[in-house]
Amino acid sequence: MATAPSDYVFQDEFTADSTYEVGEAVSLWKDAWRRLTSNYFALFGLAVIVLLLLVAIVSQFWTPYPTWKQGIGPTYGGPSAAHPFGLDQVGRDILSRLMGGAAIALAVGLGTALLSSVIGIALGLLAGFYRGWVDTMISLLINVWYGIPDLLVVMLFVVIINSRELKWIIVAISITAWLNMARLVRGQTLALREREFVEAARSIGTRDVGLLTRHILPNALGPIIVQATYLIPAAILFEAFLSFLGLGAPPPEPSWGAMCAEGYKSLQLAAHVTLVPAFALAITLIALNAFGDGLRDALDPRMRR
Amino acid sequence: MAPLLQVEDLKTHFHLRDGVVKAVDGITFHVDKGETVGIVGESGSGKSITSLSIMRLVPEPGRIVHGRILFGANGQPKDVVKMTDEEIRDFRGSDVSMIFQDPMTSLNPVLRIGFQVREAMSAHDRFSDEQSKSRVVPLLKKVRIPGAADRTKAFPHQFSGGMRQRVMIAMGLSNEPSLLIADEPTTALDVTVQAQIIELLRDLNREMGTAIILITHNLAVVASICTRVIVMYAGRIVEEGYTRDIFKNPQHPYTWSLLRSMPRLDAARHSKLLTISGLPPDMSNPPPGCKFHPRCRFRVDRCLEEEPPLGEVGPNQFARCWVLMRNALVTQPEKAAAAEVPIPPLTAEPAQIDQRSEPDRPGAVKA
Amino acid sequence: MTLETSPEVESRVVDKQLALVSVEDVTKHFPIGAGLLGGGSAVRAVDGVSFEVRAGETLGLVGESGCGKSTLGRVIAQLHPATSGKVIFQGQDLVPMRGEKLRRMRQELQMIFQDPYASLNPRMTVGEIIGEPLKNFGLARGKERSNRVHEVMRTCGLNPNFLNRYPHEFSGGQRQRIGIARALVLNPTFIVADEPISALDVSIQAQIVNLMEDLQNRFKLTYLFIAHDLSVVRHLSDRVAVMYLGKIMEIADSHSIYENPLHPYTKALLSSIPIPDPDLEAKRQPILLQGEIPSPVNPPSGCRFHTRCPIAQFPICSEQVPPLESKVDGHLAACHFAGQL
Repeated sequence: MATAPSDYVFQDEFTADSTYEVGEAVSLWKDAWRRLTSNYFALFGLAVIVLLLLVAIVSQFWTPYPTWKQGIGPTYGGPSAAHPFGLDQVGRDILSRLMGGAAIALAVGLGTALLSSVIGIALGLLAGFYRGWVDTMISLLINVWYGIPDLLVVMLFVVIINSRELKWIIVAISITAWLNMARLVRGQTLALREREFVEAARSIGTRDVGLLTRHILPNALGPIIVQATYLIPAAILFEAFLSFLGLGAPPPEPSWGAMCAEGYKSLQLAAHVTLVPAFALAITLIALNAFGDGLRDALDPRMRR
Repeated sequence: MAPLLQVEDLKTHFHLRDGVVKAVDGITFHVDKGETVGIVGESGSGKSITSLSIMRLVPEPGRIVHGRILFGANGQPKDVVKMTDEEIRDFRGSDVSMIFQDPMTSLNPVLRIGFQVREAMSAHDRFSDEQSKSRVVPLLKKVRIPGAADRTKAFPHQFSGGMRQRVMIAMGLSNEPSLLIADEPTTALDVTVQAQIIELLRDLNREMGTAIILITHNLAVVASICTRVIVMYAGRIVEEGYTRDIFKNPQHPYTWSLLRSMPRLDAARHSKLLTISGLPPDMSNPPPGCKFHPRCRFRVDRCLEEEPPLGEVGPNQFARCWVLMRNALVTQPEKAAAAEVPIPPLTAEPAQIDQRSEPDRPGAVKA
Repeated sequence: MTLETSPEVESRVVDKQLALVSVEDVTKHFPIGAGLLGGGSAVRAVDGVSFEVRAGETLGLVGESGCGKSTLGRVIAQLHPATSGKVIFQGQDLVPMRGEKLRRMRQELQMIFQDPYASLNPRMTVGEIIGEPLKNFGLARGKERSNRVHEVMRTCGLNPNFLNRYPHEFSGGQRQRIGIARALVLNPTFIVADEPISALDVSIQAQIVNLMEDLQNRFKLTYLFIAHDLSVVRHLSDRVAVMYLGKIMEIADSHSIYENPLHPYTKALLSSIPIPDPDLEAKRQPILLQGEIPSPVNPPSGCRFHTRCPIAQFPICSEQVPPLESKVDGHLAACHFAGQL
């Protein structure tokens, strides 16, 4: 730590310590940001994510053609000036649908990450902080949940709710995706609650809510953010997979997964119908994972000098 | 007679991204055969880097950038700095060995104690395999490990902290080196165990004639075992001399203040301790002039600009100070008086008692 | 109004005969290896300890690592619940207290921790850390709170301009001042200090020791000062309790303990500590104890010290637990042969 004497005035008593300037105020977050921005792969990821976000927002107000409109041009029409990515099996504009699909992908990814993080953080905090029977129950739930295939849970959920609206798809994926977050937060909480500063907070009369929100959660935030970042591509992929199976967002919603599914039957005839959304999906997943990795390295305390 | 170890103008610097840290910056000292020398200082004073430099074990990105470390009493001393990798391997553990603060991290947790002690010998060719094998138990006995013969089969985790430190000492002495460097060997230990280890080091020094460099922040430990003391501050030697002179008649204000800032076991309650204001300097940006001047209560204008040399202040006593305590106490008595702590004489000598230390008393716990 | 002239401080009694805290037969066992079917054993960290801390004094609690002194400190500060026994503070037993009632008691009873690096939340600023106790008890708001924080920071030798800095920007000594300020801001009566200087550099230790003494005088504080360094304890304490393997071996006023220790363990402990004076050191001969402190899972029978004691006699010492009783006026020792070493 940089400590340089700010003045050389001699002070005999204990106040002398404070005549020394403390180091420059560098918050832990700033430090992490500096490391993140020096990682080019993560920056590439971030750039793609920002681009995707812009496209998704734009698609809500404008697309070259309506995403649902059929017969705009020739069925399976190849790329042209009017339709840069061509047309699909019912003559819809693929670029428009791709843009609409970005919004769906991001909504599913962010929505699921948010919702499953909330569930996972809440249960993880409770289990790790209160231990005892609370922990036993939550850990049991997690372990049993792990044993049930995600697909089965989602299918049952969709059948019971009897709706394939996007918000229900998000809920369905979230109730399968919170397990890792809960485990992570439980482990972090178990470790943090034994730390001396938490003990100190208890000794100054901090209530449990304060201990959890001011002392434990902020110190677990680094790993939580990283975990949440990984949840986004996983959810996007899962939604694509569900749509591919016909369980995702209902037609004519332009989900990337559904677009792949619709096109792959005619793969030999018109490969672009499948390849364009597949490529978009791949780039998005790579970008999100790259950003997640960069974030993990930036926030990992072991990387901190 | 030439000294066993002669360090000449040693500089060990760390080249970091934001500048150079001169952890050790031009120190010169010697250690005679069979001597015990204490190097004292706070964290960041460079005392540990000094010892690591002697072993050529300076961690990256540190490098010895200047100076000589001459080792060897008889015949031609060799310069450790210039040794080849082959030579330095042979030098370490054989001519000089080192023990560290935390004995647990220095021992391999999955290997038996006896094996590790034997391996310390087989790494060098002073003893044959047969000899090495037969020396293990006597060595463990020498460091007073009770039931040594049975304990060779044990693993490090089955030993207590003090016992592990004894094993480290046994390993350090296994090749009969002429110098043992002990870096804070008792800091991690309890006082009763610390006393055992100090006693052991003192006896081994006497019996085997091994010279010892004791690196510590604890002046009291130095007083109990060392014949000479080197006081380091900010990468430099600020005072050096015989233990008695340093403790009775310190000339550098840092030494003087340090001795008065420590509560003493033999001092009564509520004598206000002297405080050394401020913090040890930031080594990447040390103050100009004397490195101690921002914290020195006796400084004069000259101290702010010009660094004093390590000058002879008495027979075999050296101090790096423009003022010196013998002058300060005369010219600035009010500053000294404000800080002076009355130390009453020891009334009841707690140690005029017959000690009992038979090793295997009935009921004694094999720790 | 400053903290110093507050009515709480004005009305605080300093009477070194009057018990402020009474610890009665307190035990703290940590179960280990207990499965679903019960069984398993326990670390008997504190095993039947009784003593009192008197109003306005500093009681030094010393012992080697593993003797249970830190656990005892945390049991008294109600950070660990006691397994059994009573901790009576201001006439009330703290041990059965839970929830809001216990939380309210914490205003009067604070703790200073050993490690100034680990005991401060790295995500909070210094101002938030020192202000948190006030927030917890709704004691001062807005400007008033920040005034209190400023005042306490100055009292503890910290520059209030650094209010918005994070702990990692400070040195060890400064951080320990932050920890002390946090304990002081509630204006407590009693402070448990758990090895507050042992993690600091030698030249910094005296600053903290002097600060603690100064605060005690100004705010009429009562300290339980836990340490392994007997030199510091002698410097600070009115009375000293010596702990070994979960039990108190000897307790007396500081002068008697250091000048005339009755328990052989205390005697050995004192003789083990080097004095920074080579002439004295040359004359002294430490009483070297055999081995190290046994495991608190399975402590020795009878007197716990008998396995290392130079004057143990058998079978009495290995069979009968010596009671902690008064040997010479007010000087308590738990030894069958007190004063005979």
